[in-house]
Amino acid sequence: MAGQVASGEKLFRSIQAARPKLVTGVPDGMLAQTIMLCEASPDFPYIACAREEECIGVASGAAMAGERAVVMVQNAGLLNSLGAFATMGLRYGLPFVVIVTNRGALADPNGYDIEKREAFDAGVRPMARVFDFDASDLPDDLIPAAFKWAEAARKPVILALEKRLGAEAAA
Amino acid sequence: MSNLPSQKDAIAAALALYPTRPFAVSDIGSQTGWLKAASHDARNLYVSGPMGLATSVALGLAAVRPNEQVLAIAGDGALAMNLTSLATIVGAKPKNLSILLVDNRVYEFTASVPTPTRDMDWLAVGRAFFGADQCMRLADLTPERWAGVSRPAMIVADIAPAPAKPPALGMTPAMIRLEFLKASKA
Repeated sequence: MAGQVASGEKLFRSIQAARPKLVTGVPDGMLAQTIMLCEASPDFPYIACAREEECIGVASGAAMAGERAVVMVQNAGLLNSLGAFATMGLRYGLPFVVIVTNRGALADPNGYDIEKREAFDAGVRPMARVFDFDASDLPDDLIPAAFKWAEAARKPVILALEKRLGAEAAA
Repeated sequence: MSNLPSQKDAIAAALALYPTRPFAVSDIGSQTGWLKAASHDARNLYVSGPMGLATSVALGLAAVRPNEQVLAIAGDGALAMNLTSLATIVGAKPKNLSILLVDNRVYEFTASVPTPTRDMDWLAVGRAFFGADQCMRLADLTPERWAGVSRPAMIVADIAPAPAKPPALGMTPAMIRLEFLKASKA
């Protein structure tokens, strides 16, 4: 539990450091602490969406106005949103950051997560740049660096967070 | 012969409710084409994403431009594909976001195939989300009345199916983005 809180706080601080104009998401257990901190933050609004595809729309609206936006969803949620990701994020070249919890890793073997991960590898990686991270050991400058990359590339970037064997439990 | 307004006229009438031009975010296809035909403006954001996403895009825009009015323009077929966005908007409580629903009961860009919502009471749906004071028919609104309506709000416009599609948009994604970016920073 201590590791979960620590990694959630660390991710929140990294989001905060990037100074986004909004954060939006749909909860996953690995993101819960970060989402609660975002909801309580006075620095930016957190928009809780009913469906993940909406998050891509919300982030696109902010990015079309030239503002930074962060999306937080599970891998299954991004899979639900690929049409929006392609026809908004990629088509318009919008540099928002998508944080995805990539469930179904070797250290995260829930039966209901396995196909999500396989679909993520088959469907998302060929169409977008994905950078992978150990959810329990995130760099402090992760989100500012992700925005710098996305703004240089003029396209959205995906940060895939996963549980790794031997790492402290992230959720 | 229908007495209902065209989609183009309904969009123009909704925009005319505002004392100054709002940001207008239109769904792909029919709404985007008719918005451009009714009133092309740099403050128009023509969405090329999946049908129904305009309400979500408008919510994100409203959040980062809290001092500006934002109007999302959705068709009945489009909004049915993103009905959950209404729940999200109710939760987010944006004080500057409204939705114009244009209901022609067909998918205009798809050979006018009837929508599954063609018999649905959109006014009742809107009122279930936003309340009776924040969801009304376009025909019942004046600029003075609209100015007093709290946001988020929804306008329901029954419109006549068009005999033909609107003129082509004629803008690339880069043109849309750059033009809107400049207007959104002004």
